[in-house]
Amino acid sequence: MRDASFANATARAGPLTLDLEAGGRVALAFSTSQEATIVALMAAGIAKATTGSVLIGDYDPRVQSVHCKRLAGFVPHEPLQLDEGEFPRYIAYRAALWNIDATAAQADARLLCERLEGMHEAFSYPLIGALVASPQLIVLDRPQPAYAVQILRAVEGRALFSTHAQPSNAAAFT
Amino acid sequence: MTGRAFAGMLEARLYVSRRLVAYSCGCAVLVALAAPAGLTAPLFLCSLVGIVIALDQTPGRHRHLDRCEQSAPLFGRELARAKALVPCIAATLATLLFAATQFARGAPDVAATLLVVPPAAIACALTALSATTRRGATRALYVLLAFATSGGAYALAVVAHSYAAELAFCVIVAFLALRQYGETLARFDPI
Repeated sequence: MRDASFANATARAGPLTLDLEAGGRVALAFSTSQEATIVALMAAGIAKATTGSVLIGDYDPRVQSVHCKRLAGFVPHEPLQLDEGEFPRYIAYRAALWNIDATAAQADARLLCERLEGMHEAFSYPLIGALVASPQLIVLDRPQPAYAVQILRAVEGRALFSTHAQPSNAAAFT
Repeated sequence: MTGRAFAGMLEARLYVSRRLVAYSCGCAVLVALAAPAGLTAPLFLCSLVGIVIALDQTPGRHRHLDRCEQSAPLFGRELARAKALVPCIAATLATLLFAATQFARGAPDVAATLLVVPPAAIACALTALSATTRRGATRALYVLLAFATSGGAYALAVVAHSYAAELAFCVIVAFLALRQYGETLARFDPI
């Protein structure tokens, strides 16, 4: 990100300059939850910066959003209300959207479930959903600091960018 | 977009709206049992079903599906096509059940219902979809436009007795509405 900022009638974030190398890890705290969400969405290529530039890999989300979204996996802050029985359906849905092998995705998901043992399903399922597409970058919008150890273990080897509303929460992810 | 992604989105959207779709179908059967002969009831009811299910696709109503779709490597127009099919399927299903009930009652309007109602309901649903990405007065305007579309279809098919004109009107409206929705989703700001 180079002086990347976002502004519309109701929300504003940035400007922010940030470099994240492959396999690196950055956790940033912002003054408001809204700003943290906006920056996370920009970093994942979902929201487009109104000024400045964002590059994910070599791609610009303003013109190559599909390429960016293949590289970045986004995990929202909101918990996912899902029954355990609906989890395979959720993984099949994610596999279909990302056009990845459904059987391999289910196997990866089961493995990740074991790795994330101790983490509440409402928070682990969205992370597993993002990880089955094998993104190079994982963007977490205000993740729960209580699960930092499990999250860091699960995303090992990938670049990790997390946004937070409290500096103490960000510290858990650095 | 692969057919798999398209089917996956469609299945997920129909799954989260399943109760609404089921209530709509039940409502169609009940009205078909009670309504007098003619195209007025099926046309306006199924158009209403299309509009309601279209409005159920408003971003924020199924927040996690929205986030998954927004973060998936898909273009806005591809998302638009898949999301647009959800209210179209629901409205068509309601029409089929309405016609089936009419047939079971021995009503004479089954063929006319199947000919006239689906194009109108689909055109209404696609017009209403543009309301889902807007707020306030603009949103209300698109919902009104959707109702006006069903009014126009009714005027052509029932008042003017021109099924061909109604079909042509609905095809033009549906095409323009789907294009408009695709363009809007491509520029849609998720914040």
